[in-house]
Amino acid sequence: MQAMIDSLARLPGVGPKSAQRIAFHLLKSDVEEVKKLTNAIQEARGSVRFCDRCFNFSETTYCHLCTDERRDTSVLCVVEESRDVVALEKTGQFRGRYHVLLGAINPLEGTGPEHLKVRELLLRLEPEGVQEVILCLNPNTEGDVTAMYLARLLKPLGVKVTQLAMGLPVGGDLEYADEVTLGRALMGRREVGE
Amino acid sequence: MIVRSLQLTDFRNYSTLHLALGSGVHALTGDNAQGKTNLVEALVVLSTMKSFRGVANDAVVRKDAASAFLRADIVHDDLREFLVEIELKSAGRSVAQVNRKRVTRTRDLLSVLRTTVFTPDDRNLVHGAASLRRSLLDDAVVSLDPARQDTINELERVLRQRNALLKESGYRPSASTFDALDAWDEKLAAVGDEVGRARAELIQELLPLAQSSYRALVGDECSLLLAYDAPWREAGLACALRESREDDLRRGSSTVGPHRDDMVVSLDDFASRTQGSHGEQHSLGLALRMAVHHLVSQRWGTPPLVVLDDVLSALDNKRASALFERLLSALPYRQVLVTSAHPLPASPRITHWLEVVAGTISSCTQDEQ
Ligand SMILES: [Zn+2]
Repeated sequence: MQAMIDSLARLPGVGPKSAQRIAFHLLKSDVEEVKKLTNAIQEARGSVRFCDRCFNFSETTYCHLCTDERRDTSVLCVVEESRDVVALEKTGQFRGRYHVLLGAINPLEGTGPEHLKVRELLLRLEPEGVQEVILCLNPNTEGDVTAMYLARLLKPLGVKVTQLAMGLPVGGDLEYADEVTLGRALMGRREVGE
Repeated sequence: MIVRSLQLTDFRNYSTLHLALGSGVHALTGDNAQGKTNLVEALVVLSTMKSFRGVANDAVVRKDAASAFLRADIVHDDLREFLVEIELKSAGRSVAQVNRKRVTRTRDLLSVLRTTVFTPDDRNLVHGAASLRRSLLDDAVVSLDPARQDTINELERVLRQRNALLKESGYRPSASTFDALDAWDEKLAAVGDEVGRARAELIQELLPLAQSSYRALVGDECSLLLAYDAPWREAGLACALRESREDDLRRGSSTVGPHRDDMVVSLDDFASRTQGSHGEQHSLGLALRMAVHHLVSQRWGTPPLVVLDDVLSALDNKRASALFERLLSALPYRQVLVTSAHPLPASPRITHWLEVVAGTISSCTQDEQ
């Protein structure tokens, strides 16, 4: 029982108290219901993986966005997590492709650039004919610094580097911005360092 | 701006307190450890969401209680009314509400309630560590423009991250560490320059007010000067960081920047930190806080709530009485709270007499105290 509570408490957004509540709830639930949940988790975890190209969640080697021929390959939007792809897709304003870094630079948590999908990003530029990279990282300290790091790498390669227009709530996550605000920030993007 | 009533539940040694306050000067007397400073602390929490004692929530929640509740009824000069409510949970996040609407930023509370708290520690302001003077400046910057809280917080965050990177990279940093450090330096330079500019502007504005405040306290003419000591500002932080990089890597921490700055206080060309007498240093400490109070009063068009917490206790009757009169005649105020373990000087300024005994507060007359 304690092992279950400990595991639950490690989930994002679940504190020790909520973990205890969920655990008690599961113990009181129907055995079949619990089986359904554990099966669903296992199946999803077993079948979903990262896209080999953009590192978005995918059930196949390449995700549906990378295989969609109608998407513009010359514009690449760099985000921290798959959930940011979901947020940006909801705006309906972006028709290019994505690249998911799987995190942001965060020395306090031991995450350096070498732990992110940075090398993989650089390797995509030439073969895919990328002309513009939009840095679409979370509007917080770590997101800003990751964007600065990437801009320093990308600019000398002759690719246009842009970032979202101001107006997103500072200190938060991209996913908390509403679609209209995010869409507007995307349309009003400007070149880094201009 | 006036706090009309204050309610505390399970906060420090108060199980329940309901205190009505008015405009004017409130004298709050009682023996030590009865709850005088706890009351002051509650007011500061209501204004900034955090304790000036710098402690975690479980230290302020009364023993065996899960949460402490603080509530203040505030009326502004334009007659707008505000209800500020804060729940401090001994485990978990605190919750703050203004007029029943959840708020998450200090700025939302600061625009409702501002306080100026004088404490016995003010005597260390001049001769103590530079961090005390940086806090005075940064707190003032935020009181004057609450949006700057984000900048001050970000500076702290950037420094913690940069120091973590410096520490882990050790003696043989990799190429990617250098690249990451470039990015952190770019960020630190941007945030640091902003903090430096805000402090420099503030000191300019504080100077004439500190001079007049000091004159009001000690009575005689002397040339009080304030100077911002931030050597990196000459060439800018980006440049200073480039120059100090080797040093920073060797030491595993950030050796230049706003977190190392100081404000030099001097009197008649002598640095007061090292050469001033105790009495001078104390008066200067008070004058600095008075200057901030003046500036905040001007900026918002109304004076913050003034608290003199135990400031008079160390003085004999005559000097306590003189300091009390000088402070209150030099400060703009609408509401004042004076706490003391000793009887306070009989002053016609005092409009309310209160006595605290073991976490309960009652009205009393001047003779009873
Ligand atoms: Zn993909």
